[in-house]
Amino acid sequence: MYASHDYQRVYVWQQPVRWFHWINALCITVLGVTGYLIAHPPALLSGAEASAGYWFGTVRFAHFLAGYVFVANFLFRIYWAFAGNKYANWRNFLPLTRAQFRQVWDVLRVDILQLSNQPVPALGHNAVAYFTYAGTGLLTLFQIGSGFALYAPMSEAWLPQLFVWVTPLFGSEQNLRLFHYAVMWAFAVFTVIHVYLVVYHDYVEGHGVLSSIIGGWKFMEKRHAQADPATGISGFRGRAAPAPAPGAKTPATPAR
Amino acid sequence: MQTEIQPRPAAPREETIYEHLCARGVSRREFLSFCAWMGACIGLEQSGVAQMVQALETRRRIPVVWLHFQECTCCSESFLRSSHPIVADILLDKISLDYTETLLAASGHQAEQCLRDTITKYRGEYLLCIEGSVPLAEDGVYCCIGGRTAKQIVEEVAADAKAIIAWGNCACSGCVQAAKPNPTVATPIHRVLGGKPIVNVQGCPPIAEVMAGVLVHLLTFDRIPQLDAHGRPKAFYSRRVHDTCYRRPNYDAGLFVESFDDENARKGYCLYKVGCRGPSTYNSCGTIRWNGGVSFPIQSGHPCIGCSEANFWDNGPFYQRLPNFPGFGIESTADRLGVAAVGAAAAGAAAHAVLTNIRKRAEIGEQPGENAERAEAKAGQP
Amino acid sequence: MNSRIVVDPVTRIEGHLRIEAEVKDGRIVDAWSAGTMVRGLEIILRGRDPRDAWAFCERVCGVCTTVHALASVRAVEDALDIRVPPNAELIRNLMFCTQYMHDHVVHFYHLHALDWVDVVSALKADPAATSTLAQGVSKWPKSSPGYFADLQKRLAKFVESGQLGIFANGYWGHPAFKLPPEANLMAVAHYLEALEWQKEIVKVHTIFGGKNPHPNYLVGGMPCAVNIEEANAINAERLALVGRLLAEAKTFVEQVYIPDVLAVAPFYLDWAGIGGGLENYLCYGDLPTGGFADVAGYKFVRGAILGRNLNEVLPVDPRDDTGIQEFIDHSWYEYEGAAGGRHPWRGETNLKYSGPKPPYEHLDVDAKYSWLKTPRWKGHAMEVGPLSRMLVGYAAGNADVKGAVTDALGALKAPASVLFSTLGRTAARAIESRLAAVWGLEFYQQLLANIKAGDSRTFTRERWEPASWPAEARGVGTSEAPRGALAHWIVIQDRKIANYQLVVPSTWNASPRDGRGQRSAYEASLIGTPVHDPHQPLEIIRTIHSFDPCLACAVH
Ligand code: HEM
Ligand code: HEM
Ligand code: NFV
Ligand code: SF4
Ligand code: SF4
Ligand code: F3S
Ligand SMILES: [Mg+2]
Repeated sequence: MYASHDYQRVYVWQQPVRWFHWINALCITVLGVTGYLIAHPPALLSGAEASAGYWFGTVRFAHFLAGYVFVANFLFRIYWAFAGNKYANWRNFLPLTRAQFRQVWDVLRVDILQLSNQPVPALGHNAVAYFTYAGTGLLTLFQIGSGFALYAPMSEAWLPQLFVWVTPLFGSEQNLRLFHYAVMWAFAVFTVIHVYLVVYHDYVEGHGVLSSIIGGWKFMEKRHAQADPATGISGFRGRAAPAPAPGAKTPATPAR
Repeated sequence: MQTEIQPRPAAPREETIYEHLCARGVSRREFLSFCAWMGACIGLEQSGVAQMVQALETRRRIPVVWLHFQECTCCSESFLRSSHPIVADILLDKISLDYTETLLAASGHQAEQCLRDTITKYRGEYLLCIEGSVPLAEDGVYCCIGGRTAKQIVEEVAADAKAIIAWGNCACSGCVQAAKPNPTVATPIHRVLGGKPIVNVQGCPPIAEVMAGVLVHLLTFDRIPQLDAHGRPKAFYSRRVHDTCYRRPNYDAGLFVESFDDENARKGYCLYKVGCRGPSTYNSCGTIRWNGGVSFPIQSGHPCIGCSEANFWDNGPFYQRLPNFPGFGIESTADRLGVAAVGAAAAGAAAHAVLTNIRKRAEIGEQPGENAERAEAKAGQP
Repeated sequence: MNSRIVVDPVTRIEGHLRIEAEVKDGRIVDAWSAGTMVRGLEIILRGRDPRDAWAFCERVCGVCTTVHALASVRAVEDALDIRVPPNAELIRNLMFCTQYMHDHVVHFYHLHALDWVDVVSALKADPAATSTLAQGVSKWPKSSPGYFADLQKRLAKFVESGQLGIFANGYWGHPAFKLPPEANLMAVAHYLEALEWQKEIVKVHTIFGGKNPHPNYLVGGMPCAVNIEEANAINAERLALVGRLLAEAKTFVEQVYIPDVLAVAPFYLDWAGIGGGLENYLCYGDLPTGGFADVAGYKFVRGAILGRNLNEVLPVDPRDDTGIQEFIDHSWYEYEGAAGGRHPWRGETNLKYSGPKPPYEHLDVDAKYSWLKTPRWKGHAMEVGPLSRMLVGYAAGNADVKGAVTDALGALKAPASVLFSTLGRTAARAIESRLAAVWGLEFYQQLLANIKAGDSRTFTRERWEPASWPAEARGVGTSEAPRGALAHWIVIQDRKIANYQLVVPSTWNASPRDGRGQRSAYEASLIGTPVHDPHQPLEIIRTIHSFDPCLACAVH
């Protein structure tokens, strides 16, 4: 009667998504740390001569380098939102169905207000998570736009020059800096909550969320794994797939 | 109202600037070295310098009308400080400064006559220089001259100008009187005279040699210089102060002044942490410097406040690296808000973790899902 | 028959000044002075960081640039009880003396001289006689017959070109011009020399403040660090340059400016009886030697004189609620609440235009007619400026001032009463320029001595951080700007500016009359001025220029 053996391994996060995630996390960390240092360089009351050091220049270089990687990685993820499996699909990130909204409410009830102990079944993320990631996606876009606009005067390269129009929108470079800086804090807040919630879900639900972003697999009750009742969004390359027949195999598990 | 011996202005004679300089006792060699210096200043190739020599040798003094609106006259003052000796002469004699309230001998009706004479006699030929912003609130009553508003005057005088120069931050972007809440709706010239090409010579005030350099460019090539997106001549405003700052190696090495007059300040370290706006300010302070190259703000220990940028007054406080968030108090910097938000998130997570361990005690530590299934079963769901 | 003369724009001043005058039988019987441009700085300053205020205030005026910055940092330091290190005080004093010499010389030659000097008449001068004249009054080297002959040739060519530039439509040939052609030629030469010279002396500001106009100041001291072992700081080379500039400035003042004033004055002694105007003089004093709070240590004495009574100098307290007040009976503002004056700590700035709709021919002088408020001291209209400074110093028995005034009067062989006039104002400006030259070098020597003794501090961090400020503080920063008594009043609440009011020298002098009909200095001084030709306002601008008007300052 206990259903522990009724578990199924589901391949949720394809390799490209996993690479994307960790490169993204690394970029955010590097950009955040170097950005913070650019904003608040530590006091070095040494007798050093300027000719003997370049650490601040190096910090900035790291920031700009990470900035380029960050953009490339993000562009790739956008591509993968169309090319990847249904959990990576772009539709998840947009509020398209009633079911998504219902799930938002469920998540609030179960995870935040803790009115119920019944986990919200979701193979990919739940709707709240997807929407949050859409939000971080916007923040990412903003940091890219503002960052490259700030970078444009220091660079002859074409990419930064694409963003010169951003600065006037903010009245002055100084104001743009302020917003670019403030969004760093937004990323910091996200990271704290995000990592906490990942651990929380793993700890409470035991679906293997933590390891899924490394190995790609989640562990789901068979019922949920096969029906994916969550949000009504499914399918491959943006097309809605017919609901799997009961007892059918789990969604595609391509070679890893 | 001219008296008998007032010499009637004869038809403009074709005296060239070079002839005029000769008459002033300037040798040809001095003249050429001036051209070379000025050429270097405005970034000319050798051929450009030759063209300039030729232009100054053959062209007559261009009539200049200099209007003053909402301003502090310090752009005029700066202009007078132009340090190259021959430049000082140009200012007084090589252009024909036909109207400027600061220096004109005549006052009142006679002064207004000077203005009318120039704009009618030299229609389409005079150069219009404007110092100050134009208040647009209350139909312009915040700045009247001779009973007319600045707006009425500038529109009339600009109509037939050959070219227009906006001097300083006031004319280019409204400067201090346009700082929030801009009580008089002080408006920069390019927004009052929409559609006309205007050379924005930025700064509060602009550097004297930059002002002279722009004039020389116009005189020499008979066309306006290349401008950046804000209408500023690229020759003087294409580089950030930060990129030409001699303290830059300290910046790259992370050697900063922490507080005025500390050990680091006395070593001339970078002023970034006490609010330097050099990284977002486009001006020639690091190269041409001020008052004959004697110094510039950073060299004398004060951070750049960004005086050649639009709205720089509202990007303060000056001694803070980043401005305050609008609407928050003086001390609510992005940092305080950010740290508070991260702290709140962490505290929220901690509280949530504690709550989870209480409320979901049953579920945690059991076989994954079993508790839920039991719950589901109990609720009679499928 | 009365006729109304309008002079607008008054040129060779700073800013936008309009004079309307009523002339009867060749003399002015009434006059109105109006400032016609406003920016609203006092409104803009509210809510900002007090440490930034100096930069905003400095932009009140680019002609007397620095003085508002000085008054502002003093107001904030006064409010927060910050005492700047001695070097900062000395550097500020050096910049102050520099400013005096620069502003006064530029005023005399470029803004005032053409009221007295007929440029066209200079064409008729004999260069040799000009040389004799020049060498007779000064040992200034540029005075050979050849030098003046060259200049005259250039001038002739300039006039012949027909493009008269700034000299077009001047009042050349007016009978009020009295100088012989030689004196005119000498003055024109010095007009050009002064133009060259003035850009040199300001380099003192550039060295300590980074630029001029608008050098940098700092609450708590000065931003320039002193380190005689460092390339990037005020070191021996920088100090030597300051020393040279100050010495050259002193030479110029003593060998060109003063001799010119003394040479021109005897031709215009009738103007020692014209333009006196008010009989009350006010001076806040300046050039502290023992800190801003120690008024007794000021080089320029603080005090007031009423009714030209040089036997009594009355004490002045800028904090006294009933002392200095501003009125708006004839000014385009409105006060909330009770009518009457406001001490600046309670001051209000609410723009409210009620004049004629432009374009207009005349202002309605019976109603409101100016953007200047009307300041009064204990209800009295006061004149401020060089003349007030010299009179207060003289009356208070200040040795330096008394000596300088006595010297000048001796050279002119005239009694002290000639000072109460248009000419007196112009002379007082020259007299104090010499004091500034001498004092500047004194301060310079003290600065060197301090540094030599090992004190290189230029700034105190004491109360730099807003967290260390009280919830509410009030301060007043006084100064003697070139045009006279200047003060800024600040109220700081919750670390922000809650109120900021400037009462500026030209506000005192150029303001409209008060509710009791008392005229301020410009209007009063015009009464009785002869007008040869009502169509040519030469005599009017002579007297007005003797105040060295600055209207951007006056209104702000
Ligand atoms: C998660 C993404 C990012 C974060 C958290 C971040 C954070 C920061 C922070 C905190 C600053 C300091 C702001 C200041 O005090 O002036 C900064 C500066 C800057 N960032 Fe970013 N940044 C991000 C992405 C980017 C990207 C994609 C670029 C593009 C190249 C970029 C370019 C810059 C530039 C040019 C500066 C100014 C550096 C300077 O003044 O020398 N940033 N960033
Ligand atoms: C304990 C470690 C972490 C785990 C298990 C984890 C897990 C995940 C998972 C499963 C996703 C969904 C991926 C997708 O849909 O593309 C995700 C998304 C994301 N993670 Fe993490 N994460 C971890 C740490 C971090 C860290 C440290 C950061 C940032 C510094 C971060 C930033 C993000 C971002 C920005 C997204 C959204 C990306 C997207 O929309 O695709 N994560 N995380
Ligand atoms: N009035 C005035 Fe000023 C002066 N001197 C300042 O306080 O001129 Ni612009
Ligand atoms: S730009 Fe600055 S310096 Fe020039 S007139 Fe305006 S306030 Fe003065
Ligand atoms: S002092 Fe200012 S402009 Fe110079 S390097 Fe430092 S931040 Fe840049
Ligand atoms: S404040 Fe202005 S003068 Fe130059 S160094 Fe900065 S642009
Ligand atoms: Mg005021």
